Amino acid sequence: MKRTLPILLAFAALASFGSAAEAKLRVVTSLQDLASIAQAVGGDRVETFALAKGYQDPHFVDAKPSFVLQLSRADLLIVAGLELEIGYLPPLIDQSRNDKVHPGNPGYLDASVGANILQRPTTQVTRAMGDVHPYGNPHYWTDPANGRVVARAIAARLTQLDAAGAAAYQKNLAAFEARLTQKQAEWQAKMAPYAGTKVVTFHDSWPNFAKAFKLVIVGHVEPKPGIPPSPTHTLETINLIQTQKVPVILVEPYFDRKTPDYIAGKSGAAVVILYPSVGGTPAIKDYFSLFDTDIDAFLAAMKGKK
Amino acid sequence: MSIFQLLLPAFVASLILTGIHAYLGVHVVERGVIFVDLSLAQIAALGSTVAYLLGHDLHSTAAYLYSLGFTFLGAAIFALSRVHRKTRIPQEAVIGIVYAVSAAVAILVMSKATQETEHLKEMLVGNILSVTWPELAKTAVLYALVGVFHYIFRKRFLLISMDEQEAERQGLNIRFWDFLFYVSFGFVVTSSVAIAGVLLVFCFLIVPSVTAMLFASRLGTRLAIGWTMGALVSAAGVGLSFVMDLPTGAAIVGTFGLALLLLAGVRKAFFKPIAA
Repeated sequence: MKRTLPILLAFAALASFGSAAEAKLRVVTSLQDLASIAQAVGGDRVETFALAKGYQDPHFVDAKPSFVLQLSRADLLIVAGLELEIGYLPPLIDQSRNDKVHPGNPGYLDASVGANILQRPTTQVTRAMGDVHPYGNPHYWTDPANGRVVARAIAARLTQLDAAGAAAYQKNLAAFEARLTQKQAEWQAKMAPYAGTKVVTFHDSWPNFAKAFKLVIVGHVEPKPGIPPSPTHTLETINLIQTQKVPVILVEPYFDRKTPDYIAGKSGAAVVILYPSVGGTPAIKDYFSLFDTDIDAFLAAMKGKK
Repeated sequence: MSIFQLLLPAFVASLILTGIHAYLGVHVVERGVIFVDLSLAQIAALGSTVAYLLGHDLHSTAAYLYSLGFTFLGAAIFALSRVHRKTRIPQEAVIGIVYAVSAAVAILVMSKATQETEHLKEMLVGNILSVTWPELAKTAVLYALVGVFHYIFRKRFLLISMDEQEAERQGLNIRFWDFLFYVSFGFVVTSSVAIAGVLLVFCFLIVPSVTAMLFASRLGTRLAIGWTMGALVSAAGVGLSFVMDLPTGAAIVGTFGLALLLLAGVRKAFFKPIAA
């Protein structure tokens, strides 16, 4: 026994040296959230690059030359799907001239497949309905349960692309899921006292978060992104907050606070900046700290209301 | 809260904005520097962006001072680039260049920032519905000061705007007075854009002044027409936005356009052409 241990260690060192020398799988994601999960599952066998940074509005991303470069070298492209990236990604994929990451090929993974998607329209979607996502609300990763679904899908796809890493991906996925299970219990415990709390959100980005933590969304400040709300709608929002005693307005960090601050001032609700993505502030380094930060911000605002 | 309480500040804001902009609009139209407000607003926004990068809150006093400082820089550029018709480069070209470059630099600065600078894009949008009474009071005082300043030196400012050659002949330091003009203009535009957004400010500046020019050539009459029109059309626009459930700022701009069209038709039908 005394002799076998150093030998085993030597083998382990050799094995790890070998894998480090191998080229890593290049994973490009549209969101930092997906990059965070992919990194957790892929471990040191992958390197990730996120196109949209967490502090940007994921609907409108200014393409940079580096995006095309990253895509042209990518082995796997992971997108949020549901047309979230439709405004910028399709031309970039074409320009990258990288067949691997074209939709339909194994190097293209739509992370929304299998996730619990809310607000899938049941009727025909027309332009008259305004800024409706025809395949459902694309902000599904704000429910940690969907993070688990996404992690499993990524593990399966990585295994398909890199069979040699199958065991590593299984192990990493198990670790991610175990941590997620533990964190979910912690988050649920923190949010439990506020189950049923009514909230108003700036845009319709939070149905999954609300469902996961049992909040009730009763209205939106700006129903159509980029178009200031009409006086009637603004008044309805203020009156709604007052009559329903809504304590907080949830605002994504990339919108100007002028309008929500005004409504908060008139109605007595508090504005809470909630980050929809990893990287929204430097403190949100991974998928877990995303929920840590958002839940703490929510709790701090609710404590202030009492 | 009633719809009246919600709309009243927006309406009063349009009155205050009309008051100063219809006057400044006369200068701007006479000088042919129509887009100077967009340009100054953009350079002010660049100032806020830089302040934000240096760690100041976007709505803080420091950020305001930065945007004001950048506006002064813009004023200096406009005053110095005045070329007395000696070269064929129009002032409007310089204004366009300042606009494009400061907008581009703001984008570059933002792209290198590490967090939540996205909403800077919305700084030039403004929502006139979300204006508050204290904000209005501050703005009114500021505009009154600028108004007094312009009243005291009205002869010089008007002479330079209306008849540059005569001003030169009288030996006025045109660059100096231009600088003062653009600085005072920058003061006004920086605050009004924050309240109402670029579109609405542009409309308050140009439309009443142009409308008045259709009917009168004397300054006093033009100001009276501009102010009356501004007040009535703002009221109509605010009302329309309520009745038809439209975003207020854009509704006011649309109403101004419609009113100008109608009045131009009226003038064509019932008035003899006035001597320019």
